[in-house]
Amino acid sequence: MRWVILSFGLAMALAAGPVCAQQASDKQPPADEQASTAEQAPTAEHLMEEALDRWNKMTPEERERELAKLPPARARRIRLLLRRYNQMSPQAQEALRKRYVKFSQLPPDKKELIRQRLMDFHQLAPERRLAVYQAVKQLGQLPAAERQDRMNSAEFQGQFSPQERQIIHDITEYMGPW
Amino acid sequence: MEPGVNNDMGVAVAALDYDAELMLRVKDGDGASFGLLLERHRSSVIHFIYRLVQEEAVAEELAQEVFLRVYRSRESYEPTAKFTTWLFRIATHLALNWLRDGKHQRGQESLDHGFPELPARQVADRRRSVEQEMVYQDKLREIRHAVASLPEKQRVAVLMHKYEEMDYAQIAKVLGCSESAVKSLLFRAYETLRARLAHMVRA
Amino acid sequence: MNCPMESRNPETLVSYAAGELDLETAQALEQHLASCSHCRAVAAEQAALWKALDKWQAPSVSLDFDRRLYRRMEEEARRSFWQRMAHPFRPMLLRQFVPLTVSAGLLLMVGLILEHPHKVATASHRAEAVRAEQVERTLDDLELLQQFSAAQTASADHADAM
Repeated sequence: MRWVILSFGLAMALAAGPVCAQQASDKQPPADEQASTAEQAPTAEHLMEEALDRWNKMTPEERERELAKLPPARARRIRLLLRRYNQMSPQAQEALRKRYVKFSQLPPDKKELIRQRLMDFHQLAPERRLAVYQAVKQLGQLPAAERQDRMNSAEFQGQFSPQERQIIHDITEYMGPW
Repeated sequence: MEPGVNNDMGVAVAALDYDAELMLRVKDGDGASFGLLLERHRSSVIHFIYRLVQEEAVAEELAQEVFLRVYRSRESYEPTAKFTTWLFRIATHLALNWLRDGKHQRGQESLDHGFPELPARQVADRRRSVEQEMVYQDKLREIRHAVASLPEKQRVAVLMHKYEEMDYAQIAKVLGCSESAVKSLLFRAYETLRARLAHMVRA
Repeated sequence: MNCPMESRNPETLVSYAAGELDLETAQALEQHLASCSHCRAVAAEQAALWKALDKWQAPSVSLDFDRRLYRRMEEEARRSFWQRMAHPFRPMLLRQFVPLTVSAGLLLMVGLILEHPHKVATASHRAEAVRAEQVERTLDDLELLQQFSAAQTASADHADAM
């Protein structure tokens, strides 16, 4: 009896592929799914949910068991960052989530590039960070050609160091409006 | 890359920088070149981070993260600056992050109430008497404490200048500021250290 | 040579103590030091500080540092391989396959439970749990993104006390 059920289940799983492919080509997706313009957006959201939301759904014992596998310093840092994330307001979490989705959609090499730029940004003096942030916000709103013109201008080049210009260029280029 | 943004000296830098050459080979899939980079820079990265965070195990974990990030970035690597500038930028970022995160946990009390004992690996020098050893360990504790109490950028600049023997230009590139700012940083840092360690440095 | 302390080039004394000056500049400075007690004192203290700082030796690197690093690299490579394998199929899995495969899965599970009642619970628990390293990577990226956004409010609060 057990083998009958197992075999039937396996057969159904194997049959699911062609049947579903045929159904997909015949059917229109429902209206709410049509609203999703980027095929990858749910995937990126899903990736973040997989990590954080599933972590939050684990029991405290399961989380501690996982953290115990890491060196204490790393485990401590993860706890701290989780606490910070979970204590953010829903609006702040949502804004960060959207930013993360955008970031996750980048190809691996561009993701690494943006990580580098964000780390470079973090090394700047506080008043320079503010200036760079404001530049990213302003330039990110402009169409690409206009943005490039602005960045090539003598005034812009006089205001920002080569490293700062690189940060502004890459973040606006690959992350879009901030 | 876009004009006006790139470092025009990028190609020239790479031609002189053996490490950048190795990294380009890693980009092409040569794992042995990564091993060579690790061999060349493992100690200096770990030692630099150790003097920043002053915890041995943490320093090695963070150093591993530095090399992991270098490896992960191989596909997008461009030799626009010296390899070590990039390497120490990552190391500085990770170490300062760890310190800032740790402050919430440990608080500033550890700076006020003295440091934990020296790691076991630093075995006492048997040529010194017990008393001499105690004096030596006390001095070491004071030096560590004095460096740890410097503001972040001054601390990083001192460690790069004194122990990694970096010049002002390279420290400036790692910290993302001008050379004159680095000179000013260093002078103030050493001035503070001279004052804090006055009994060691004054005749 | 102008007095380094008065002409706002005090770092010359630092460079001198560190042995960074070229011969000509060093000799010019030494001539100045002979007549300037202030600079002489600073230079002497800086040299003494340099010697004191030499005492601080870093511990040797663990013998298994490289092995641990390569193990982490291998684990990452393995994880990203499986993610890349799953990725092309993910949208189809989510939208079209879910209803039928859930049913198929239920039937398989029933069969498995009958076959191995104890092992199934463990297997489904493992599928739900997420590794700490995955969370760490996500949190690191979130932290970077959040720090950028925080620049507008942080500039006043976090000015480096230089």
